[in-house]
Parts: sequence; structure tokens; C-alpha cells
Amino acid sequence: MKRHLSTEQLSSFLDEEAGHAEVREVEGHLASCPYCRSRLSSMRRLVVEIRRMERAAPPPDLGYQVKAQVVAQGEVRSFERRVRDFFRSLVFDPSLRAASAMGLTAVLVGGFLVWQSVPPVPPPHGRTEIVKVSTTFGEPPLGLPETTSEVAGREFVWSGDRWVQKGLEWKQPDSRVMLASPEGQAMISRYSDLMLLLTDGSRVVMRYRLGTVELSKG
Amino acid sequence: MGVATVSAVIHNLEVDVELAERHRCGDTQAFNEVYARFEEMVYNLAFRLSGNYEEAADLTQEIFLRIYRHLGSFGGRSSLKTWIFRIAVNHCRDRLSRWRPLTQPLGEDPGEGEVVYADPARGPEELAVAADEGRRVAEGLARLPPVFREAVVLRDIEGLSYEEIAEVLRVRIGTVRSRIARGRDQLRALLEIRP
Repeated sequence: MKRHLSTEQLSSFLDEEAGHAEVREVEGHLASCPYCRSRLSSMRRLVVEIRRMERAAPPPDLGYQVKAQVVAQGEVRSFERRVRDFFRSLVFDPSLRAASAMGLTAVLVGGFLVWQSVPPVPPPHGRTEIVKVSTTFGEPPLGLPETTSEVAGREFVWSGDRWVQKGLEWKQPDSRVMLASPEGQAMISRYSDLMLLLTDGSRVVMRYRLGTVELSKG
Repeated sequence: MGVATVSAVIHNLEVDVELAERHRCGDTQAFNEVYARFEEMVYNLAFRLSGNYEEAADLTQEIFLRIYRHLGSFGGRSSLKTWIFRIAVNHCRDRLSRWRPLTQPLGEDPGEGEVVYADPARGPEELAVAADEGRRVAEGLARLPPVFREAVVLRDIEGLSYEEIAEVLRVRIGTVRSRIARGRDQLRALLEIRP
């Protein structure tokens, strides 16, 4: 009894990805098997339908957003590189090696003396207490310290001198963005509710895409 | 592969490697060229894998940040296109496995002004019919297991060869062949296209 072709055979034959021997075998089988011809035809119809699906065009401002992120990341990397180069020069530059060794010793001795002279501070009881108060959405967060939930679809907490997205309270921002800059404007146009937090002149730290960004007015 | 094709591939690889070299040397224009070449491709891949326009935009941003970080290490062992697809697929896999399943029906109107279709020359009626058919197929695709969806999207939407797909997914060609076939078979059943 003749076996029908496998789906894999039909699929790779359709894609012209089958080897010569397999092509001959498939063509030979198809010539005498209406059932497999019909399966091939339905698979072909499916592929045509998939290929006819509209391609979506990226949002017009996507390129701008990507490039703004890349610029911010480039600045961070450039700073890191400068710091790394500086320390490398201290270690590898013979003219600076002696000076850097003396400097390091001075810092260590000074640090030790300062540490000795400072009275012990009782350990803090965990993190700064964060009072969580849900304010009515849509109103500026008056009467600090408070927190407001669901601003810009995220929960923010008041952390000393700024609003910080919940979960990021102790994280230093990776980059800073001024509200007046194009990047700041792009963020505000996307998360316009953030203006509620900024109305008191404070700063906002939020996770924006991959980075932790501090958004501030001035 | 003919001699002309081989030399074209080598030329393209040289162009890709040169782009990476320029990026390594701090030429910001190099990344802009990469972005211009691959933005649409990455966005569509992210859209078909995530099933959500907004998610696709976020994923595209993140993917290009990864590309920016690692472009300098691109060594030309595969084409830049394959390399970028690999980053994109891995990133989508990573993100989408941690996130939620597809929530927005694929092909649904994403809202005012958010998406411009790539072919504005088609008439409204033709667009409406195509959108209906497209929605049905997209919904079917969204229901496929991710490994089959990736294979079908890379083959039938992005038009990659089996060899390229194998490079992108880091699997053998036999596995690619099997995933495409099984993905199509399941999709055919979901769409009730009968032999």
C-alpha cells in the first residue's frame, strides 16, 4: 500500500527546500495521489494567506525614541569609559603610579581617622518610612509626604525629595532628563499624568523602557 | 549557490562588518543606518510574536538598545540580518515568557493614528477584505505554540530561508523543517482550511 506524503515533505517541497531526490519522490507521488495534491493545495492557500497579511508600519516617533535612548546610553557609556581610562592611567602610567599610590594611602588613612572620630550612629530601622496614601486620581499630590497610586499607570512613592516609581526607591537613576528637553516632552506626551507629580517642583524617577530615568523640571 | 550570488553575499557581509567597525569606532551614523535598514523588519517581527502594537513598539526599542550595545561585537560570522533577527527573537522570547499571554487580539484596530499600514495605495474595500482575512490568520498565528509561531513567522512573513532560520533559532535545519511543517499544519486546522 502506498504511503501518503508527510506534512514535512509537502511543506519543504512547497518552500523549494527539499533535496533533489526528495523532490523527485514528492513529484512522483503527487502525480498519482489526489489526496496529497489536495493537501499541498490547501497548504499553498494557507501560505498565500499568511503572506498577504498587511505589514504594520512602526509608529512615526519610534525612531526618535530609540535614538534618544541610545544617546542617553551613549553618554553613560562614555562617562564609564572616561572613569575607566582615568583609573587605568593611574595604574599603568609610570609617572602617575607613585602619586596615585601616595594618594590612595592618604585616602585610606584619612578615611580610617574620620571613621574613628565619628560617633557610632544607630542603625536605621530599615528604609525611610513611606506613607502610602491613595489620592484621588487626577488631582495634584498636595500635602506631602504622600504617595499617589496609579499615576501614569504606575505607582509612585514619595522618597525624601522626589517621587520614585514603586520598587525603584533605592535605585540611582541611570540617566536624567529635563522636562523641557525633547526626551522629556516625549515622556510627558506619553505619560501626561506625570505632570501631577511634577507640579510641586519635585523630581520623578521612573523606569522608562530599560533605564531608570529621573525626570525633572529644572 | 552561483558565483554571482556568493560574491553578493560576501559583499553584503563586508558591508555589515564595516558598519559594525564604524560603530565600534564611535561613528553614530552607523547605528542610524542599521536602524533605518531593520526598523520595519524588527517591528513586524515583534508585532507578530507579541500580538500587540504597543508591546511591539516597546520591544522594538529594547531590541535596538541591545543591538546598539552589542553591534561592536558583530563579527560577520552570519549576516547582520540574521544576527539582528536572533537578538530580536531571543529578546521577544525572554520578555514574552515573563509577561502575560497575548491579550490584544491580533489585527484589532490599534486605535487612532497609531499604526499606518505599509501599503496605502490599496483601495478601502480591498483593505477591508484583506484586514478581515489578515485578522483571522493573525488570530490563528497567535494561538500557535511559540516555537511554531516563530518558525512560521520567520519563514512565511519575513521570508527567511531554512538555513537562515536555523541560524536565527540556533537549531538544526531538520528542526526548522519540522517546526514550519507542524506550525502550518496546526494553523491550517485552526483556520479550518480543508484539503
